[in-house]
Amino acid sequence: MKTAHHHHNWEPVIGLEIHAELNTRSKLFSSAPNHFGDEPNRNITEVCTGMPGALPVLNKEAVRKAVQFGLAVGARVATFSQFDRKSYFYPDSPRNFQITQYAHPIILGGSVMVVVGDEEKAFPINRAHLEDDAGMLKHFSDFATVDYNRAGVPLLEIVSEPCMHTAKEAALYAMAVKAILDYIDASDCNMQEGSLRIDVNVSVRKKGEAGFRNKIEIKNMNSFSNLEKAVAHEITRQISAYEQYPDKDPQDVIQQSTYRWDPDKGQTVLMRRKEYADDYRYFPEPDLLPLILTPEYIEEIRKTLPELPYEREKRYISKLQLGPQQAFTLVSDKQIAAYFEEALQDCTYAKTLANWIIVEFPGRLKELGKTLPETPIQPSHIASLVNMIETGIISGKIAKSVADDMVARMTAPNNLPLDPGAIVEANPEYLPITNRETILPIVEAVVAANAQSVADFIAGRDRALAFLVGQVMKQTKGSASPQVVNELLMECIKKK
Amino acid sequence: MTDIHTLTALQVHNAFKQGKLSASEIVAASLARITQHDPKIKAFLRVFTERAGKNARMLDEKRASGAPLGKLAGIPIALKDNINLKGEITTCGSKILEHFQAPFNATASRLLEQEDAIIIGKTNCDEFAMGSSTEHSAFQKTSNPWNLSCTPGGSSGGSAAAVAARLCPLTLGSDTGGSIRQPASLCGIVGFKPTYGRVSRYGLVAFGSSLDQIGPLAATVEDIAMVMEVLGRHCEHDSTSLPKGPDDLLSKLNAPIKGMKIGVPWEFLENLQPELLRSFQASLDMYKDLGATLVPVDLSCLKYAIAVYYIIATAEASTNLSRFDGIRYGLRSKRATTLDEIYDYSRQEGFGDEVKRRIMLGTFVLSAGYQEAYYRKAQKVRAHIIQKYNEAFSHCAVIATPTSPFPAFQIGSITDPLEMYLADIYTIGNNLAGIPGISIPSGFTQDMKPIGLQLSAPELSEGLLLQAAHALQQVTSYHTAIPKEFL
Repeated sequence: MKTAHHHHNWEPVIGLEIHAELNTRSKLFSSAPNHFGDEPNRNITEVCTGMPGALPVLNKEAVRKAVQFGLAVGARVATFSQFDRKSYFYPDSPRNFQITQYAHPIILGGSVMVVVGDEEKAFPINRAHLEDDAGMLKHFSDFATVDYNRAGVPLLEIVSEPCMHTAKEAALYAMAVKAILDYIDASDCNMQEGSLRIDVNVSVRKKGEAGFRNKIEIKNMNSFSNLEKAVAHEITRQISAYEQYPDKDPQDVIQQSTYRWDPDKGQTVLMRRKEYADDYRYFPEPDLLPLILTPEYIEEIRKTLPELPYEREKRYISKLQLGPQQAFTLVSDKQIAAYFEEALQDCTYAKTLANWIIVEFPGRLKELGKTLPETPIQPSHIASLVNMIETGIISGKIAKSVADDMVARMTAPNNLPLDPGAIVEANPEYLPITNRETILPIVEAVVAANAQSVADFIAGRDRALAFLVGQVMKQTKGSASPQVVNELLMECIKKK
Repeated sequence: MTDIHTLTALQVHNAFKQGKLSASEIVAASLARITQHDPKIKAFLRVFTERAGKNARMLDEKRASGAPLGKLAGIPIALKDNINLKGEITTCGSKILEHFQAPFNATASRLLEQEDAIIIGKTNCDEFAMGSSTEHSAFQKTSNPWNLSCTPGGSSGGSAAAVAARLCPLTLGSDTGGSIRQPASLCGIVGFKPTYGRVSRYGLVAFGSSLDQIGPLAATVEDIAMVMEVLGRHCEHDSTSLPKGPDDLLSKLNAPIKGMKIGVPWEFLENLQPELLRSFQASLDMYKDLGATLVPVDLSCLKYAIAVYYIIATAEASTNLSRFDGIRYGLRSKRATTLDEIYDYSRQEGFGDEVKRRIMLGTFVLSAGYQEAYYRKAQKVRAHIIQKYNEAFSHCAVIATPTSPFPAFQIGSITDPLEMYLADIYTIGNNLAGIPGISIPSGFTQDMKPIGLQLSAPELSEGLLLQAAHALQQVTSYHTAIPKEFL
């Protein structure tokens, strides 16, 4: 909102095209394996290289995944859809036409629910369709090669309406789409490997202005934070341009073109202008029959849908009393959410548990470049740590040391147990001081030194007690049993 | 046996099964015929002397071992050169694929070899099956065995001429607008275009995907029925492949046609040459004698068929042929120094004029701003034509027409492409409607050029169609005639 703050009379208009590679076993129109990272031109058949006489045959698993996505976003799944040829010459396109769905896509409409700040928003989807991916060119100093391993990998292209107005909204929408694809196991959604690719269209217009001004397409954003930065940068760039030339025809100020995001420079860089519209000469693919889906087939798939991220998020907020941000972060990553769900089996302190799973441990694992589910630390370990905190066996401060030890032990060679109970047991200094005689003088001193807080507590302000407990913990360097401190404080205050 | 070449495919197969002939003898006879006679007609682009000889020896061993023999055991077959045979060159009659070695078998080729047929070579055709005279081959012009100065028709002219000259009893062709039936007619043999989807197109180099069908050419309807039992199987590599077809075509061939209603679209035949009209009427009279009744049907909509065809077929072809770009296989221009030059020069040098003409036409009818007026309108007319066929077939079992509006013509005599396109006036409707059609020999002109009769039936009615064709062949002997120079 920073930019809009400076340019309050402008309204950005943002739409996203998300290309998700579906994680099917074979490719969209051939039996070649759909697998990333193999030796070039290993995963190919005559279909993938456009050999004369080769014919496409539609992969049913890809259709199923597309339908799952459609149902997950409440879209209409077309009972009649059709593939079209899209003609253009490029060496990564083995037939020099792509097989896509132009006139009759498989998925129509639907929307993605996102919580933006305190507001719940539904971002409408225009359509989603199946198409095959292209191969990849590799350029050398005086020649180029093509790898057709990716050629024919199924893509679901998800096209939003031009319905977003801030960079944040664009990023949140994209994250929500990724989470849905993740939950229904339709895509690996790995932006680094290119299995989730996002193109964003950005234009700005004067508030209240009808119609759209020229849009800029931005490609090559490999993370959600880069997406957000790129959109924010582009909005500012366009507004500045229009304001610099208020008398020029807007058509001439911003021309329809494609940019890419340069994360090092922190700016969008022009790739090419679109001076005239490309003519792809779409027409129905005669080698494939129209795709007819029965209502029974669609209903059968609907029954197999798992709990979706947005539903789970709502549940976390309403049933587990998590904060909206906490809930969103948890559900946005399917693995993390599953980890949390498992930890919940052994621990009812959901809020604290969430904090340790999405804040405390990720912070400690950052340097290792790992996520919690990738480590040997089990959900039950975290559950047990949180239980020890919440029942006063250890203080929050000690818990942090225990967590440090868990991470350290994880990488140490001697295979020490990661269970926090075992760690505490093996380190007597972690055990809280429960000896009343040791703690009492400190409590008395704190009560004497904070007469106002004591008075506040007596007057009914509970927070004052927390402050007093904190003071005692501070002086004991966190080693006192919070339970014992509490008891002694109450006794002390009562005596007064 | 010195006259193996006069045997039909079925007779060859039976002689082999009964031990009267060995596969090696049969193949040797066929190869000898090719050596002796093919230089006169140039039907073959390549002959697989070694491969065929080796397969024949293996088949003889198989027979000796007592193992069960395939349904086509011992029959030498040639393939039109747009049908892939693994490991062999597939040129499609084009320079752009002059050295292209097919990395996989067409389903049709696989089925033939699976049933112990012996593939002996590849036959000439118009480049990418685009033409009606086989003159558009980049490699050679094929002659009509009945008149060496005439074309055999096309595009499967090599396959038709090879059978007419009795170089082998059976060949495969492909038919997008008449490319099997028209050369069969001009060469005095039987040519069959099955229902769209009956024979897998997998491994057939595509021209017009919604129209293309592989089909057989032979001297008799019996041979067609025999090979169709093998070719008409479902194929999982072709999304438009039909479920398995009937495998009792041969045994039911003799079903009487008494009472069969034959439709004749008279108003569509108004401008037919008198000599061809007389022959056509003579064929209809024979059908009446066989107990069939004639009913008039309305197919006047077919006057639009050529226009519709040259929009749809070229639209599909323009994209099907995009893959020939000099990048992955095929000809790459030596002059090219940039990517665009690889595309431009390779296609300039690799494609012939007729192919270029159709690519340009197809690109045009699909372009933004023109697609509505051409491609989409053509699709609507195509749907209308299908409907008119359905109406016609509600009155009759099969429809009879001539196959070609003219008999074999002199090589080089037709220079106007539009005039050449008229050669397919009677055959194109079947491709647009996806229905089967067969051309059978039905007479000769005064100057001894063969005349063909075309019969058409509703989709999936191959059995009925073959019965009707076979019935006429039982009471005529045109199909047994062999051109003088090839006796």
